[in-house]
Amino acid sequence: MKGKYRIVVQNNKLRYELDIRRNITIIRGDSATGKTKLIQLLEQAASLGEGSGVEVFCERPCRTLGGNDWDLILPNIHGQIIFLDEENRFVKSQEFADAAKNSDNYFVIITREDLPNLPYSADEIYGIHTSGKYHDLKRTYNELYHIYSSNEVSGNEKPEIVVVEDSNSGYEFFQAVCGECGITCISAGGKSNLKAIAEKQSKDSVLLIADGAAIGSEMNELYQLMYYKPTVKCYLPESFEWLILKSGIIDGRSIQDILHHPEDFIESQKYFSWERFFTALLVQYTQGLFLKYSKKRLNEAYLHGKIKSAILSVMEGVNLV
Amino acid sequence: MLKIIFGEVENAVYHPPTYFDNRYEDQWITDPLSVAMIKDIDKSDVVSTHLIQSPVLGPISTKEISGGVKTLILMAFDKSGRIFNASSCGDNCAKWIIEIGKKKDLTINLHHVMDFHSVPIFDAVMLNSDVTIHSYGEYLEEALKIKER
Repeated sequence: MKGKYRIVVQNNKLRYELDIRRNITIIRGDSATGKTKLIQLLEQAASLGEGSGVEVFCERPCRTLGGNDWDLILPNIHGQIIFLDEENRFVKSQEFADAAKNSDNYFVIITREDLPNLPYSADEIYGIHTSGKYHDLKRTYNELYHIYSSNEVSGNEKPEIVVVEDSNSGYEFFQAVCGECGITCISAGGKSNLKAIAEKQSKDSVLLIADGAAIGSEMNELYQLMYYKPTVKCYLPESFEWLILKSGIIDGRSIQDILHHPEDFIESQKYFSWERFFTALLVQYTQGLFLKYSKKRLNEAYLHGKIKSAILSVMEGVNLV
Repeated sequence: MLKIIFGEVENAVYHPPTYFDNRYEDQWITDPLSVAMIKDIDKSDVVSTHLIQSPVLGPISTKEISGGVKTLILMAFDKSGRIFNASSCGDNCAKWIIEIGKKKDLTINLHHVMDFHSVPIFDAVMLNSDVTIHSYGEYLEEALKIKER
């Protein structure tokens, strides 16, 4: 399944509006914001249809999934948007992660747990807030907001240490750039090691660079670490490959069009998270060129003056040079 | 004293709101502590044991209060000896968990690192490592070292 979907769920007192554009969306946040009520309305609409009094507007069918027989039901659902409430502890199991990976549905999961088995984006973690009464003055209007704002997670001071999630091409690129600028660059060797490495650093400023497309499960703890230790900042592009594509050094119009609305090109069943798509796209577009890309080892052409500068110029709010 | 244990534990209730719906006692709802928590978290008024006035939904039943407040009420009044999953509570419940922990021995279960930064100074025992913490900073440092979730 691919594409962006607007979902409106309403009865005569409540109205929810959601835009869903990736296979996994997480809703969390404070108590009493209406998360469970949203699930209840969807359940009633799914089981009783129009007779429930609940209206659901979406291009795709929306439904809930829960209970012990979820694994029997899920394989029979296709092309739908599936909502899961926090009572379903199976969402943190590897079995569910495997089933979601092979599924052609989108999932909206209500949970405060980190779900490390699922590669979800930092951009797709939302809370619900009330933005006032709808124009008929009877309905309370609820919409999603980003829990982690990019302004709060990045920093524009020149860091003393850069910690890169990656250990391959991305790390080699930043290691070379940092080496020229007198910045220490460390590979975390995986997203789950970022916190521990950042916490150990005693330097004044530490910048973590990680793939935003799949860092969602780390965000709660990283965010608290940044609050407690303000010297730690994060820069979270979709991925290193996304930075290269965004820089405009390869092709031109067609890539920029894809990056403008990637959800319309990324088949969720083929690419469990978006960074895999961006890697495949970069490999495809650089095949046979002097910029031929390999994730395992950085092609040194990416470190040439103008090319390197073009990639770095994409990194808004980050000052490495 | 507040005690915090991360990860799977015996005798824990994973989804306290369901447990609350089936086990709550009428007198819990009109206790001044519950009245204050329902007002603070849900912005709602307790009219009587069976009636809550919500600013959004109008008059609602006790079973329609938020999952976070249901979990807090269980933490305060349930005497079954069960441990309740505080990951059912939003961060806006953190100060109430600490308040309840000041009044009684309270053990909570967490499956995520709850954000207690709204209460910079508090005492708790981290049961996974048997370390006593005295502030949000100490809590966070210890919680990040614990692998269980």
